Amino acid sequence: MSTLEVTFVTSDRTVWSGQAAQVVVPAVDGSIGILPQMQPTLAVLGEGKVRIIDHDGSVAERAVQGGFVSVDSDVVTIGVDDAERLDSDH
Amino acid sequence: MGAQQREYKQRIGSAQGMKKIFKAKEMVAATRIAKAHARVLATTPYADALTQAIGAVATHSQEAEHPFLQADRAQSGRVAILLITADRGMTGSYSHNAIRNAEELANTLREEGKTPVLYVVGRKGEAYFRFRNRPPHRSWAPYSEDTLGSLGQEIARDLTGDLLSEDPASHLDELYLVGTRFLSRFKQVVRASRLVPMQLVDGQNHDSGSFPLYEFAPDAETTLQELIPRYVQSRIVNLLMQSMASEHAATQRAMQSATDNAQTQIDKFTRLANTARQAEITQEITEIVGGADSLSGSGRTER
Repeated sequence: MSTLEVTFVTSDRTVWSGQAAQVVVPAVDGSIGILPQMQPTLAVLGEGKVRIIDHDGSVAERAVQGGFVSVDSDVVTIGVDDAERLDSDH
Repeated sequence: MGAQQREYKQRIGSAQGMKKIFKAKEMVAATRIAKAHARVLATTPYADALTQAIGAVATHSQEAEHPFLQADRAQSGRVAILLITADRGMTGSYSHNAIRNAEELANTLREEGKTPVLYVVGRKGEAYFRFRNRPPHRSWAPYSEDTLGSLGQEIARDLTGDLLSEDPASHLDELYLVGTRFLSRFKQVVRASRLVPMQLVDGQNHDSGSFPLYEFAPDAETTLQELIPRYVQSRIVNLLMQSMASEHAATQRAMQSATDNAQTQIDKFTRLANTARQAEITQEITEIVGGADSLSGSGRTER
């Protein structure tokens, strides 16, 4: 089973990096779910939550406001201005 | 104790006091370099991600257009120079080098018939231009090391606004950054680089057939509109942080040589004080011997 290589960065630090099974990002025109072997995509993000879901089902969630996401051959790069940790995060 | 000796002792004392201050400042700067450098490195992943994303738009979309990418933006002849200097003194030649580089760039631009417009960060640069009766167009001073990120955002917002402005009085054709690049603890270089108009260097040929179809959400145009101001901002923030690290490195070097100089002064005055003391003792002995001689020569037997 293929996995996603996720790098989640803000302008001054790396928030999250590693492997994940699924990533959900809030694009400006609606939420996008990213799975392995997705078509190369570049999207502008709006306001909402970035969810990174691991193989064992654990979820990392961050609230973001504006940014971009790029997907290319299972490498996911999320760049935002600021990522805020949510209370529900474990 | 003679007046001369007292004078030297006083000078040794003040040199010792200064040496302590310089030493302390040197150590503070040394610890801050590492911290500032770590902050520079922390901005790199974001900058890389942006560069890659912009490269992807440029490679996969033919209609990628942005005002910052147009090679010929000449409209008003105004060219912005963003100069980054220090707020504080005791940084050796750090601010001076950056200012000189900006002046050289401004002269070159004037020769090309353009009007340089100065945007200055830091009290030292601002004071330099104000003192010479050509106050900078815009200045940010004083600033704090902790808020470099938001300062960079503010600067980027103002500059982007002026670059895109339609008003000929505020429109900027080009944007140059002059700041100090932090190469290592021991080497920092002042460099002027042009940020706008930017050139896309992605190292790949634009053979659209060989690439998988790229999807842009909502579309290539909007993504580029979003990415390019972010890129400008990230470059400015990065340069601010590099300059901050360089400032600390320059401070450390300047304070190190100041400490050495203070030690040289202490050594010199210690030697002079010893000489003065020895001269005084010698003189006293000469006086005693001379006195004894003259007594014995006078023919008196009892003292």
